[in-house]
Amino acid sequence: MYLFRLAMASLANRRFTAILTAFAIALSVCLLLAVERVRTEAKASFASTISGTDLIVGARSGSVNLLLYSVFRIGNATNNIRWDSFEHFANNPKVKWAIPISLGDSHRGYRVMGTTDAYFQHYQYGHQQNLQLASGRAFATDPFEVVLGAEVADALHYKLGDKLVLAHGVAVISLVKHDDKPFTVVGILKRTGTPVDRTLHISLGGMEAIHIDWHNGVPAQGSGRISADQARNMDLTPQAITAFMLGLNNKISTFAVQREINEFRGEPMLAILPGVALQELWSLMGTAEKALFVVSLFVVLTGLIGMLTAILTSLNERRREMAILRSVGARPWHIATLLVLEAFALALSGVVAGLALLYVCIAAAQGYVQSTYGLYLPLAWPSEYEWTLLGGILIAALLMGSVPAWRAYRQSLADGLSIRL
Amino acid sequence: MLRALPALLMLVALPLWAAAPKDLTWAEMIPPDAPAEVPNMKPLHDLSQMSSALSAESAPAAKQDMPNAPVVKSLDGKNIRLPGYIVPLEVSEEGRTTDFLLVPYFGACIHVPPPPSNQIVHVKSAVGVKLDELYQPYWIEGAMQVKASTSELADAGYQMDADKIYVYELPE
Repeated sequence: MYLFRLAMASLANRRFTAILTAFAIALSVCLLLAVERVRTEAKASFASTISGTDLIVGARSGSVNLLLYSVFRIGNATNNIRWDSFEHFANNPKVKWAIPISLGDSHRGYRVMGTTDAYFQHYQYGHQQNLQLASGRAFATDPFEVVLGAEVADALHYKLGDKLVLAHGVAVISLVKHDDKPFTVVGILKRTGTPVDRTLHISLGGMEAIHIDWHNGVPAQGSGRISADQARNMDLTPQAITAFMLGLNNKISTFAVQREINEFRGEPMLAILPGVALQELWSLMGTAEKALFVVSLFVVLTGLIGMLTAILTSLNERRREMAILRSVGARPWHIATLLVLEAFALALSGVVAGLALLYVCIAAAQGYVQSTYGLYLPLAWPSEYEWTLLGGILIAALLMGSVPAWRAYRQSLADGLSIRL
Repeated sequence: MLRALPALLMLVALPLWAAAPKDLTWAEMIPPDAPAEVPNMKPLHDLSQMSSALSAESAPAAKQDMPNAPVVKSLDGKNIRLPGYIVPLEVSEEGRTTDFLLVPYFGACIHVPPPPSNQIVHVKSAVGVKLDELYQPYWIEGAMQVKASTSELADAGYQMDADKIYVYELPE
C-alpha cells in the first residue's frame, strides 16, 4: 500500500505529463467503447425491428434491398406490385395473415406508409410484441386519417386532431405537396425503438386518394383537380402496392410459399425470409465493423505506447529519486513495482476517465442520434464484453509497465547515490 | 494401475454412451413405406426454351414436391442428434437465432423444388445460436416431436426444442 502511495506521490509531482497521458488513454478508451456500443446497438435495433413475419414480398430486386426499404425505410423500391397479386397470395390457404404496404411519400423527412388494419394487428417487433396505441385509435374508413409513430409526434409536436399535409417524394424539404388533401391525426403509437416510430401510417385508400388526380405525374390543374370530398366518394381500391408481409400457418411451409411466390406466373416477385436477409446484411456489414474495431484497437495501443514513452523518458530524470529511495532502504524490486504501479494507475485513471467521457458523450448525443439515425444508445452499464475489453487494456498496461520497471530495476542495481549526469 | 485405466474409463463412458442421443440421418426421416417416387425423366431445365426467357418465366411453378409428406411417427419423443443447415426465422436482440428451420442442404438451390416437408425440422431454442455464417452446418440435439396431419394447414411435420446446438465439423 505504501508503494502505491509513493507511486501516486511521484505521479503527482509530474502531474502535467501524467494528466496528458491519462487523457490520451481516456480518449482512446472512449473511442473503442463508442465503436463497440454503436455496433452492438445497431445490430440489436436491426434485429428487434421485425419479428413474427415469415416472408416479405416485393418486386423482384435483391433480398437485402427489399428488407431495407420495406422494413427499415432505407432506400427506395425498384417497382410496385399489382394489387391482385397481393390478393392472390393473401387468400392462399397456407397464409395466416398478410399486410400490404405502400411507400413513396413523406412528411418533413419522415416516411409515409400506406397499409391496412392488418398492420396494427399482426406486425410484430422486438420479442413478438404487437404495436400499441399510446393515444387515439387506428385509422378507420375515412381515407384522410393518419396514425403517427412516437418519434414523429414528439419531434413535430403533433397531437390528436391536428391536420397535416403529406409531401410527394421522400426528400426532407419537399417542393410538391398534397396540400389539397390534408390528413387528420387520429392516433399516436407507443414508442417501439424501431423505424415504426419515424413513420406516418395512412390507409391504402388514403394513399390512393392523394394521388388520384396525378395522372400526368404532376397534380392536375384547374378543372382536372379532384377535391378531398370528391375523392372520398370514389373507389379507392389501390391498383398497386410496394410490398407485403406474410405470416404463415405452418413455418414448415415457408419454402413452399416462397417458391410459389418467386415463380408466380402473374408477375415477377421476390419473397425473402427476414431472418436470412438480416443475416446477409450482417455479413455485408461485418467487414466494415471489423475494420472499425481494429482501427479503434490500434488507437488504444497508440495511447498505451504514449504512456510507455512518457514513463521511459522520465526514467533518466528520476535516477536521483530512485537512488534516494534505495538509500533509505528500498530494494530493487520495490523500484520495479513502483513503476508497474505507476503505469497501472495511469491506465486505470485513463479507463475511468474514458468511461466517464463515453457516458457524457452518449448523454449529450442520445437525442440527436435517435432522431437522425433512429439508433437508440442506452446509458447502460458496460456489457460483459466491454468489461473484458477494459480488463484487456489494464493488463496490456501492466505488461507495458514492466518494460520501464525492468530498466529501473537494472539501473537501481548499478547506480550509486552519486550519479554522473 | 495403468491396466485398470481402460476399465475405469469404460465404467465412466458407458453411462454417458447410453444417455447420448441417437444420431439421425435425413433419410431416416422419410418413412420406409412412403410411396415410391415415380422417376421423372424430364430434365430439370428445358434447354429448348432457353432462347425465350419469358416462356420459361411463365412455366408452372416448381411445387414443393410433397407439402405434407409422410413422417416417421416412431421418432416422436426420441432424443436424437441431427446435422443440418440453419435457416433463421427469429433473431433476438442479442443477435442470436432462437427459431429456425433445419434443412439438409444450404441455400435451397433454385433449380430444383424445395425439400419436402419431411426433410425440414422447425427448431426452437431458448438460448439460441449465434450465426456467423449461413453456410455453416450445425449439430442439433433434442427430443423430436412429430406432428402428423393430413391437412397442410396444421402444424404438420417435425419440430424440436433444441437442448444443444453446436458446430458440425468434418470427421477427421
